[in-house]
Amino acid sequence: MTSVVARLVIRVAGLFVPWGRRTEWREEWQGELAALEHERAQGAAGLPGMLAYALGAVPHALWMRREGWTMDSILQDLRFSTRVLLRSPGFTLVAALTLALGIGANASIFSLVNGLLFRSPAGIHEPGRLVQIARSYESAPRWDRFSWPAMELIREESRAFSGVAGYSGRAFVVGRGTETQQVPGQFVTGDYFEVLGVQPALGRLLQPTDDVNPGEHSVVVLSHSLWANRFGSDPSIVGSTIPIGAKPYEIIGVAPQGFAGPESVGTPPAIWVPGAQRPGFNGQTPFDQWGWSWIQVVGRLNDGVSFEQAEASMGVVSSRLREASTINKDMLVLLAQGVGLDPRDRAEAKQISIILALIVGVVLLLTCTNVANLFLARAASRRGEVAVRMALGAGRGRLARQLITESVLLGLVATAIATPIVLAADSFLPKLFPYSLNVSVGADWRVLTFLVAVGIGAGLLFGAAPAWASSRSDVREALREGGSTGGRRKTRLRDILVISQLALSLGLVAGAALLGRSVLNARSAQPGFEPAGLVVGYVDLQPTGRYDEELGRMLWDRMVVAATQLPGVENATVAGQAPIVGGHSRATVRPAGRDDVDYEAEYTVVGANYFETLRIPILRGRALGGLADEPERVVVVNNALARMFWPGEDPIGKELAGDPGWRVVGVAQDVQMRSLRRAGQPGVYYPLSQAYGSGMALHIRGENGHAIEPALLRGMVAELDPELPVATVVDLHEGLTASMGETRTIGYLVAAFAVLALVLAAVGLYGLVSYGASERVREMGIRIALGARPESLVKLVLTRGITISMLGIGAGLVVSYGLGKALEGLLFGVAPADFATLGAASVTLFVTAGFAAWLPARRASRVDAAVSLRE
Amino acid sequence: MPRSLGITSLQILGAIRDNSPYGLEIVTRTGLASGTVYPTLGRLKRSGLIKARWEDQRAAEREGRPRRRYYELTADGQHSLVEGASRVATLAAELSSVAVGGAG
Repeated sequence: MTSVVARLVIRVAGLFVPWGRRTEWREEWQGELAALEHERAQGAAGLPGMLAYALGAVPHALWMRREGWTMDSILQDLRFSTRVLLRSPGFTLVAALTLALGIGANASIFSLVNGLLFRSPAGIHEPGRLVQIARSYESAPRWDRFSWPAMELIREESRAFSGVAGYSGRAFVVGRGTETQQVPGQFVTGDYFEVLGVQPALGRLLQPTDDVNPGEHSVVVLSHSLWANRFGSDPSIVGSTIPIGAKPYEIIGVAPQGFAGPESVGTPPAIWVPGAQRPGFNGQTPFDQWGWSWIQVVGRLNDGVSFEQAEASMGVVSSRLREASTINKDMLVLLAQGVGLDPRDRAEAKQISIILALIVGVVLLLTCTNVANLFLARAASRRGEVAVRMALGAGRGRLARQLITESVLLGLVATAIATPIVLAADSFLPKLFPYSLNVSVGADWRVLTFLVAVGIGAGLLFGAAPAWASSRSDVREALREGGSTGGRRKTRLRDILVISQLALSLGLVAGAALLGRSVLNARSAQPGFEPAGLVVGYVDLQPTGRYDEELGRMLWDRMVVAATQLPGVENATVAGQAPIVGGHSRATVRPAGRDDVDYEAEYTVVGANYFETLRIPILRGRALGGLADEPERVVVVNNALARMFWPGEDPIGKELAGDPGWRVVGVAQDVQMRSLRRAGQPGVYYPLSQAYGSGMALHIRGENGHAIEPALLRGMVAELDPELPVATVVDLHEGLTASMGETRTIGYLVAAFAVLALVLAAVGLYGLVSYGASERVREMGIRIALGARPESLVKLVLTRGITISMLGIGAGLVVSYGLGKALEGLLFGVAPADFATLGAASVTLFVTAGFAAWLPARRASRVDAAVSLRE
Repeated sequence: MPRSLGITSLQILGAIRDNSPYGLEIVTRTGLASGTVYPTLGRLKRSGLIKARWEDQRAAEREGRPRRRYYELTADGQHSLVEGASRVATLAAELSSVAVGGAG
């Protein structure tokens, strides 16, 4: 790694070497580096570090560039710069703090991106040798989970892996009575911990012998945090039992601290249970069902096998899978190297990273223009000094270099101020991020390198304008003017800087407004059902151990009746999953008697009044009734599924494959089950009388769109059975807003930056206009003496401010459009170039800018003619 | 007449004379930073005290690495080194006598 960086240093430093001598220069350095590498490999002692050695190429290259540019003159510049910065500590502090903000924001966002894209989840041994294995189809590419038999076949057939493990997330109910708690957990294969290379913190972890004979080995591994929070880190916990669902489980060990499985993002599991414990469904076990895809699969590459070789060997595995079951007919096995994010999540994370980088990039530009402006303003007062130095023979280049040194030094001071923020990123970033993170986002060498690079880059960036302006100043003119005022050229540069500030602020204001409107729109969204007034409570019958399918069905039916009778309730139902807020389930369905099409559809078991309660319109046929009303195997499908399976035909009376088949009696409108940004997916609704779930979501609709109190729901369930835990109660209307988590988080971020940007831009404009006005004090005095009215003077000064604001807004609309485009994926119900939003943002900016310009204008109009003329 | 050489230059000239002709060896032997050694080598070369040559291409290829540049003293360089060394020795003697005198 260091040798790559070292070579990079040589390449970059080489750019400073004069063209004619560059090849030779690089060859020498490469030769020496190769020799150093060689000798290090041989284990020679007393050698310099690779990187430290290569860094020597930088002064060498700079020396070559200008043989007179020695360390001495750099030190001289540094000393002088330090003196200049210390001479006006207030100015230095304000400039450094402003810059630190931009630098800190950039480096913090980079540590988030660094954690998500370049780091692996904690506690895993050699994550680079792990491979995610996924199911796809030639006809319909996707990235999906496997069925249990498919996973076992992959394990047996593949020579590329030393181990293949599976895991599947699910909510478990732990404890009894008042101690009951719903926790996230995973069903995992017996070799899960071995494949990931995890060592126990206490006791032992699961092993393959725990994962045989379905239902037999009731053992559990606790996460470190569950062990600490629920069991007070009791070291004698191993060997004791806890009730999970209906059964007591023996605690065999505790996973190491921080270990949360192979996924970078998502709720960390609190317990791990052998996959063989997974209960069956409708009288079938999951271990021989090719159609039930529920296991996520990871493999560890065998020694000496590369990822490419493993990928090439998947062709054979795919064809074995196809032979094994007709369901797998054009199945493909796909691989992705490493763990943490699957390819789709990785793409999404990249997209969000780009958006965030863009936003903080704008903030950095803004702080740089602001500081450049401060420097320019001060340069005006330093013109005398500069002119004297030039008159004494300092070259323009030398002067510019001095100014650049000064700004880079300031950039480094700002970096030092920003460093504690970046080092603390580990504690505040996960709170800002809308999901829970299982990777460290703390600073590492990549983050620190980035931090310093941004600091130096920012220094060069904001230093460039003042340096350029100074190096172009005219000695004679400057000396003549006595260092009191700036030239026209410099003023024009300041105009441009303020215009860019206004433009960047408008971009941020408009971006914040677009995101804010998206979140508001989500509240009034129509996702295919009516969310207002709908409350969902998850109830699980398993923990009591007293309900078989028949008793369970009867309880669900009674619960619906009891809920309907609560005060203020219009309607109630139970269902296997609730839209948007979670508890998703899918299953592969296909039309009876056909092999040409199948789909992994949304799978919802529903009780009586489901469609009425959620207000999902039935487009054809009828809705599903309660237990007594549905003696036959019937289903309602949604419009998307009907069109996919029976395009152009009447789906009523058609059958879905099953034993016996499921007759379609109705077609419902599509519902956005997963996310507001995803159109409704094909789905099937099964009546509770014919299908069963031991965990259901009780949906209750309050009257007139008013959601009922969660306590009312809990009390009702407790009356039916005091031992039944209601895990969580969610208001679906709130849930919709919560589902826009990223939009809201980024919205807050952009809004905070937008306010800051507005203030910076206003201060910039204020400074510019008052400077312009102060230059014209004499003129004002003459005008007043000649009888000009104060209003006309206000107008005179204001005109300049207004012109600059208009130019800023014009450029800002372009920035806003670009930023809006970049944010498009986060928007909901509003176009990136929404006229009203951009208009409102422009007006906000114009009013702010107008005020900033009006203040100095008013002051200018009150000039005392006698005083100004005497000066 | 070249201006009198500093300690750093003398150290480097000495290292080259004592059979450490490559940049890396000079850095290792003198303990100076590479960022000091290379520009100084450049200056010494410009003043004609050392000259640089490329190592034989075939020798480098045999070891599978890029060829290296090595440095050797010119006659001027040898002269300057001897002269500089005696100057430093005189200076050292003077300084130590001052130190002794100060102490006594």
